[in-house]
Amino acid sequence: MIDMQSIRKIYRTQHVETHALTNFTVKIDAGEFVSVMGPSGSGKTTLLNIAGLLDTFEQGSYVFDGEDVSKLTDREMSRIRNRRIGFIFQSFNLIPDLNAFDNIDVPLRYRGMGAADRRKAIDQALDVVGMSARAKHYPAQLSGGQQQRVAVARALVGSPSLILADEPTGNLDTAMANEILDLLEQINEMDTTVVMVTHEPDLAARARRRLHLLDGRLIDIEMDDRPTPLVAAAGTTAPVRM
Amino acid sequence: MLAYQIRIAWLSLKRNPILSSLSVIAIALGVAVSTAFVTVYYIHSGDPIPTKSDRLFYVEMDSWGPDRPFSRNRPEAPPNQITYRDMKGIMTSEIPTLQSGMFVAGLIVHPPDEDQRPTRERIRMCFADFFPLFEVPFAHGGGWDRISDRGPDPVIVIDTATNDRLFGGGNSVGKTLRIEDRNFTITGVLAPWRPSPRFYDPHTGPNQEPEGIYMPFEFFRIFEVETDGNMLIWDDSDGNTVEEFLASEAIWIQMWVQLDSAGQRQTYLDFLDAYAMEQKKLGRFQRPLNNRLLDVMEWLEDREVVTEEATGMLVISLLFLLVCAVNLIGILLGKFLARAPEVGVRRALGASRGSVFLQHLVECELVGVIGGVLGLGLSALVLRLINRLLDNGDQLALDPTMVATGIGLSLVAGLVAGIYPAWRICRVAPAIHLKLQ
Repeated sequence: MIDMQSIRKIYRTQHVETHALTNFTVKIDAGEFVSVMGPSGSGKTTLLNIAGLLDTFEQGSYVFDGEDVSKLTDREMSRIRNRRIGFIFQSFNLIPDLNAFDNIDVPLRYRGMGAADRRKAIDQALDVVGMSARAKHYPAQLSGGQQQRVAVARALVGSPSLILADEPTGNLDTAMANEILDLLEQINEMDTTVVMVTHEPDLAARARRRLHLLDGRLIDIEMDDRPTPLVAAAGTTAPVRM
Repeated sequence: MLAYQIRIAWLSLKRNPILSSLSVIAIALGVAVSTAFVTVYYIHSGDPIPTKSDRLFYVEMDSWGPDRPFSRNRPEAPPNQITYRDMKGIMTSEIPTLQSGMFVAGLIVHPPDEDQRPTRERIRMCFADFFPLFEVPFAHGGGWDRISDRGPDPVIVIDTATNDRLFGGGNSVGKTLRIEDRNFTITGVLAPWRPSPRFYDPHTGPNQEPEGIYMPFEFFRIFEVETDGNMLIWDDSDGNTVEEFLASEAIWIQMWVQLDSAGQRQTYLDFLDAYAMEQKKLGRFQRPLNNRLLDVMEWLEDREVVTEEATGMLVISLLFLLVCAVNLIGILLGKFLARAPEVGVRRALGASRGSVFLQHLVECELVGVIGGVLGLGLSALVLRLINRLLDNGDQLALDPTMVATGIGLSLVAGLVAGIYPAWRICRVAPAIHLKLQ
């Protein structure tokens, strides 16, 4: 699913160069649930942005689902994001002018689906996250947990093969956080790959593989002992300690 | 997708009503001013009779005095009207397909309803050919025939407004109307006719409506009526009697002919020159031979119906619209960049740069169209004001072409204002804003 080799990402301002990712290599297979941990500035979000084709990199290679990302045009990358990747953000990032239904509708609009198909898919996604009763509510009328449920519905409405979640529980209380995690696990059980950035070890522990980042490098990979049928030699391609 | 983008644009406009209103007002002002002046230009510069404007010719002959040219500013230009004796002289020619001398007179009309008071009306004195010459449309009946010119027979043609006013509308052919001390039989009622500009006699105002009543030319002798238009003379030959006046060098008649081919035109010009040479032998036409035939558009240009001021105002008004649009660039840029986080989300959800660009351009065009509609309303008010100031009746008004032009201008303004902000926002890196929202 994700195959990054020696990725280097540098943010430059007039005076400072920040190495967000250095010689970063990781491979995540289809169906995995991977959490990414590390202190602020360790490159977690950069990793997610590059994985989600939202950001470019200076060096290395990234093959997403068999396609060399560096050779794709903006239009092709947008198409992949639209059809094969779902994003969940810490601050939900719902569009305030649109109600829950219309927020979930956004990716389907860019896909050019017909109205009946869109309605069906949205109703289904709302049902999965338990928000059917609040389809017409605007973000401002929803609690944080409810907004994140809508955001999860928006991420999964297009049946993506990869969900990228950037601290999806960062703004939620523990109960809500666990509910969202339950949802992510549920999605993962449907063979969707989930990569989740989190600061919270308890939540990270629910992933089968945990990547630890520091200063833009992958410093550790933890595996739990549960069987991971789709993961073949996970971590063997990653430098474990650098 | 377009309907969706229009909806998103509308939501965006609603989100910040003050800023949106300012943007709309900027476009509305620009469109109002530019459409108003485009209309002025369009009305004045259009071809009033496109089917035959290249076959209708205004006749000019230099019968002016030997001491100085008719126009000091343009010494090469012959007088812009002709004398009665020259009209009679050249109308003997059978070269033109159609021809008519004409002038406007003021005569007393007695309404058939005796309760209404007699009024002084502007009446066009002309020949039978006037109607086919200018393709004047009839609702009922038609013009009189050439034999009636000779009589002259007491026949008239009236326009729709006069028919409505005096006879309550309907087919009034055969009814009589008393003018001065005679009864005239109506041979035709015109359908609405409003050549713009009123090319056949711009001397009495190119924006004026055509006259309401048309009468055989020679009745002017019976009524001993002078022109309501311009009459100029270079000597003191006009004398005291009608006959002396008619034999004088006074110029007061407009002369139009229809010449259907270049050959016919040349033959007629040769005829005019020959006529002028004959007149020279009689001691008239003492200036160098200078006869001209101007087709409709040449004639309007010669009369400066489209003034340099109108052209200048057109350019200035379009520049004003441009300034409005350019000012809007800053407003839109600020507004769009403030929305970068939302754009980041849309990019993450699959919007390409192209669709982000298009969505924002649609928003600019929505501002343009709303501003355009508002501007057209303002423009109609501006035109009414100009009409009132220039005493034009309702000459300057927005027709469908001008409404389309106004909408077109607003779309262009929206594009000018929006293309750079839309380009900037679509280039914003989405990743930067996703974490911040």
